[in-house]
Amino acid sequence: MSNPYLPKIASIQKVKPETYDTTTFTLQLDDPTERKAFQYRPGQFVELSVFGAGEAPFCISSSGHGRDTFDLSVRKVGRVTDALHEMGEGGQVGVRGPLGNSFPFEEVEGKHILFVGGGIGLFPLRPQIQDVYRERDRFASITVLYGARTAEDLVYRDELEEWQQQEGMTCLLTVDVGAEGWTGNVGVVGTLLQKVEIDVPNAVAFVCGPPIMIRFVVQDLSGMGFGEEAIVTTLERHMRCGIGKCNHCMIGDKWVCKDGPVFTYRQMKAMTEFEE
Amino acid sequence: MTARMLPHERIDEFVARLMQSAEVVAPRRVEVADVFYGPVSSPGEVAWDYGTAIEPLKRFLLPQRETMLRFSTDGGLKVEAECDERERVFLGVRCCDVTGLGVMDAMYGGDIPDPYYMSRRERSTVIALTCLEAPEETCFCVCCDAGPFLTEGYDQQWTSLPEGMLVEIGSERGEALARANEDLLAPAELDQIAARYRLAREAEKTFGDFKSYIAGAMAKLSMNEVDPEVWEQAAMRCTECGGCTYLCPTCSCFTVTDRMNGSEGVRERHWDACLNNCYAREASGHNPRPERSDRLRARFFHKISHQWAERNGRQACVGCGRCVVGCMAWAHMPAVTEGIRRGVMT
Amino acid sequence: MAEIATVCPYCGCGCGLYLHVRDGVVVGASPSRSHPVAEGRLCLKGWHAHEVVDNPGRLTRPLVRRGAELVEATWEEARSAVVAGLGKTLETDGPQAIGVLGSARCTNEDNYALVRFARGTLQTPNIDCSLRIQCVPDAPQPGEAWRAGVSTGQIAELDDADLVLLVGSDPTEEHPAVGARIYQGRQRGLRVVALSTRKHPLARLADLHLPVRPGGELRLIASLLHVVLAEQGMAGEGRPGAEDLRASVADMSPEVTAADTGVSADLVRQAAGLYLSSERAVIVYSAGLALSPQSGAAVQALHSLAVLGSGGSRRQVPVLSLLCRNNLQGCRDMGVAPDVLPGYASLGDDAAVQRFEQAWQCELARGVGLSAWEMPGQVRAMYVMGDDITRSIPDPEATLSALEALDFLVVQDIFMSPAASVAHVVLPAASFAEQDGTWTNLERRVQRTRRAVSPPGEAREDWRIIADVSRAMGKPFPYEGPQQIFEEISDLLPIYAGVFYPPLAVNGGIRWATPEARDAGGQAEVMPVPPPAEALEAAASGLRASDQYPLLLAADPTLRPWDGEVMVSQTLTVAGEFTVLTKDYPDGMLCLNPEDAKRFQVRGGRPVRVVSPKGECQMQVRVTDEAPPGVALVPHHQATRLGIMEISTDQAGGRPVLAPTPISVGPAE
Ligand SMILES: Cc1cc2nc3c(=O)[nH]c(=O)nc-3n(C[C@H](O)[C@H](O)[C@H](O)COP(=O)(O)OP(=O)(O)OC[C@H]3O[C@@H](n4cnc5c(N)ncnc54)[C@H](O)[C@@H]3O)c2cc1C
Ligand code: SF4
Repeated sequence: MSNPYLPKIASIQKVKPETYDTTTFTLQLDDPTERKAFQYRPGQFVELSVFGAGEAPFCISSSGHGRDTFDLSVRKVGRVTDALHEMGEGGQVGVRGPLGNSFPFEEVEGKHILFVGGGIGLFPLRPQIQDVYRERDRFASITVLYGARTAEDLVYRDELEEWQQQEGMTCLLTVDVGAEGWTGNVGVVGTLLQKVEIDVPNAVAFVCGPPIMIRFVVQDLSGMGFGEEAIVTTLERHMRCGIGKCNHCMIGDKWVCKDGPVFTYRQMKAMTEFEE
Repeated sequence: MTARMLPHERIDEFVARLMQSAEVVAPRRVEVADVFYGPVSSPGEVAWDYGTAIEPLKRFLLPQRETMLRFSTDGGLKVEAECDERERVFLGVRCCDVTGLGVMDAMYGGDIPDPYYMSRRERSTVIALTCLEAPEETCFCVCCDAGPFLTEGYDQQWTSLPEGMLVEIGSERGEALARANEDLLAPAELDQIAARYRLAREAEKTFGDFKSYIAGAMAKLSMNEVDPEVWEQAAMRCTECGGCTYLCPTCSCFTVTDRMNGSEGVRERHWDACLNNCYAREASGHNPRPERSDRLRARFFHKISHQWAERNGRQACVGCGRCVVGCMAWAHMPAVTEGIRRGVMT
Repeated sequence: MAEIATVCPYCGCGCGLYLHVRDGVVVGASPSRSHPVAEGRLCLKGWHAHEVVDNPGRLTRPLVRRGAELVEATWEEARSAVVAGLGKTLETDGPQAIGVLGSARCTNEDNYALVRFARGTLQTPNIDCSLRIQCVPDAPQPGEAWRAGVSTGQIAELDDADLVLLVGSDPTEEHPAVGARIYQGRQRGLRVVALSTRKHPLARLADLHLPVRPGGELRLIASLLHVVLAEQGMAGEGRPGAEDLRASVADMSPEVTAADTGVSADLVRQAAGLYLSSERAVIVYSAGLALSPQSGAAVQALHSLAVLGSGGSRRQVPVLSLLCRNNLQGCRDMGVAPDVLPGYASLGDDAAVQRFEQAWQCELARGVGLSAWEMPGQVRAMYVMGDDITRSIPDPEATLSALEALDFLVVQDIFMSPAASVAHVVLPAASFAEQDGTWTNLERRVQRTRRAVSPPGEAREDWRIIADVSRAMGKPFPYEGPQQIFEEISDLLPIYAGVFYPPLAVNGGIRWATPEARDAGGQAEVMPVPPPAEALEAAASGLRASDQYPLLLAADPTLRPWDGEVMVSQTLTVAGEFTVLTKDYPDGMLCLNPEDAKRFQVRGGRPVRVVSPKGECQMQVRVTDEAPPGVALVPHHQATRLGIMEISTDQAGGRPVLAPTPISVGPAE
């Protein structure tokens, strides 16, 4: 019987600070065969072990296309994330996964693609943004709306700049609280929705961020006429095992880890515990 | 049905043979009056006349605390999985506990089998012991289709008749075990088999007051039609001791922690309870179930909704009555299901 | 797998607990159905008790201070350091300059050995336990070797009770096993009369709730006595002391007290009526009563009410005193107090002193010593055994600095407590799962705790460490094990005379009794104590809210009482449950009634500035109707470090009390 709790060993290839409390770690599995076998899709996550501190789930924040490494972007909030931030290049960690389902891709071909991210909610969206952009010919348009609390909280600064400049993609930023030096939009991310033109009946929205932000954005999108199937989000829950055994992530009759973490708004509404 | 008779005077010999090749886990008395399922060191230790054991078999298959991995960080990271390959015979197990195993199997098997649970489970032989009368006044298996006699789920099921144990066979494994000990067994007579059915009927009549209105509660829960006031009232009574979950044969939540000692460490899992405030609390401080009433509702939904019954093969309450014994207050299964039915908690 | 029958190490209930041992490791805990305290139940702490045992944070080696650091040492080195350090203080400042603290987490044998060490070996009368501050006060009782604050009844009596008078207590959180009996009892019609400032869950379900203003408890109980004695004119007839009692509460009619207690005369009469007419009442009180400087007297008054009796036969009502830690009763019984000897023998009792001097073969320090809260500033050296002094005593920072400033500090513990971190020598002790011995629960039940596994590393039993130090100081103890110590205890302490070590092995142990009660074949006849006029007076004139300070802030010891406690917060799986305050209310959880929250325009979860005549601080708000309008509540263990509460002295116990203090609440900076 294979042991789904046994992590594969990986080494930290690169450490790139994103903000004052978040960092992107580039990892590579140590074993070449395992490295090859490690195929994932945007939206999936891994369970990361920092041995001695524990294990925690993180979404894979880079596209798997053409590389045998992958990124985890991590905010420092507790035992595991603190310990990870103590580690440098060459440090060894454990990885289980990829776990969970993924964002629809082929299914949304030909559509206008809208990404709405809040704070570190951009982490899970990033691989999907990268993949969609790489094959932009297959989609009608690509729009990225991203907001954070302050300018200091914006992640992937260089990439955001690229996205704003790139052809074939619209990228708008906003911060909740403006400050000196910030010349962009001020206001919650939902306010950006009014600034872009979207062919709603032919669009699909990928939304990720803190629970309260998801709630408001979903309301806005519904108000704009987005169907329940056209709103896709990824949920975060306290998780231990990542494979539907420990039950921590259960919502109603679903496990976020196994049945998710990607859900359409329709699926979310059907969950008995879902509160609007 | 293939059935055999094991004369009373040969039981000890049968048990002694079991002990030669496996760890025999059976009800045994601890201190003066408490009974635990535990490894016995001689056939005489088995407490055949017990009520119910303090804890279900879970303590062997999904221990309260168990090591999953061992690792060392000295000279390159090394990680190894722990594995328990002991053969076990669970002997004299109450029907409710056997039924509970079925639910656990569904949870811990499935498309991603849990290797710790399953490797133990696959090496287990389960011999059920029927209840000729309600063993405790808190028992309500009759409301849960989980006893006092079973029709499936066991390898062997023993019923104490005047002449000896009637041994019913429920699986290949059970048949193999009987065959290997054929010299101790005799074929069962027709009237002995008939006696078993008569006893089963009589046993059902001896169950007491702790009726649980599972079916009615199940319908309301599954349709999301429970009066929210019921959860508020249950929450006022529940003290979040975790007892109902820890004692439940089918509650299986766990949490995982690492323990380090120098450069050597272990990863352990421990029972956890979905009623705990921090169970679902997230790193941001956000708690999807901030109130006790939210958590109670989630727990009972998992136990007895149609949605989960479908996923697990049956609803998860087996009527063993342990939550009634262990509840610090008045928020156990029969109390809450009755509350759901009546729309108000007493 | 073996199941070892022992006792839960947390609260004063002392539930029967099995520790599950496999391959020398404690791998689980479960309840005992046959145990008389909880009959098959445990609260969350009990269910996880096994997790502290091999916690990686356990102390496993003796540590000795070298400059700024504590470094590992052998037992010999550590012991020499202790002998040298204490010896130096003895030489230069005398025995009075040494303070010793015992612990409600340690066994009777540990505490008894410590008292012998203090009063015998060191010749110091300064021995105490800091927990006294946040617990049910005990107060001297005239006559027998008895103190108000000791339970006269037992927990199981709640099973056939028809009424429980629940004073100041939230047993569901603090003493779950007692709470459990009350919940179960309600199903068969047990009536609950709750008398408490806070509307805790049981107060909500109660038949009658008397929402007393903090500080008004004594006068409220006095008015109950008034109704019972003066108006119903029956109770206590012929009982010794009843006449004095009647006279003392003559002026305490509920109409008079209503203004100070906030409880209407009608409610008081209803409560008295229910009490008098109940055939099998039980009185339960807890630390929630300790909100005021008069709580010692309030406890005495409750015992008096119990003695008067209820029902047609005026049967004496059993009292349960909910002590907050598992062996606080035993710790008191063993004489871990500055003003008594083991077994509550008076320091002035020559015969008793002689008994101990003969047994211990040395003279005894006979004086009244310093209390735990007086020690840090007044002694030069301290010996602390498992006492969380920085948690209990008001102003923990000052306490810690005072400890740091000592010439010499020894701390014996299972974890690196704040006090240990500033000690000169730290000695690793065995936990509850690693030693044999006895514990006495809140109903005086003397029970065996059992060694399930060996202590980690070089940790040792507390009594053994003390005996070794004493031997090194030239005063050897003759004990070879806990049984021998216990035998001495039952020889020398009349209250333990009927209790023998071997039979304690039977689940549930034996309850001790005074010789008088044993002779009478039952309950002790407790003398009623008239509430002192000064205390009644003081209770009326306590601090009040005003225009400038419109709220009254009270420190509630029963509010999240376990949050941050040393042992539970080291319980790996459920530590989160016991660190909620640290996470969500790091500066202090200020509980406000929704009305008040609205009135002062503050929101839940938000920090606010709180100002009192003594100072100001920041706290986080929790909006809850558990707090009555006009009253703000804060957990006692957080209140100690706010620095804004008035500190007064309990007249009947001498302990410092965080008195209800008027405050104003406004937006945080
Ligand atoms: C599917 C999924 C994807 C995630 N992706 C990312 C990501 O890309 N980047 C990122 O920074 N974070 C991500 N998270 C959140 C991340 O898992 C938590 O921040 C992490 O578990 C905290 O672990 P810790 O040991 O550092 O904190 P702890 O010390 O364990 O705890 C801090 C607090 O977090 C809570 N907590 C513990 N475990 C979890 C958990 N598994 N999930 C949520 N809360 C928890 C605890 O109750 C506690 O209140 C993701 C979570 C999920 C479920
Ligand atoms: S009620 Fe007290 S003694 Fe009983 S399990 Fe809980 S903490 Fe332990």
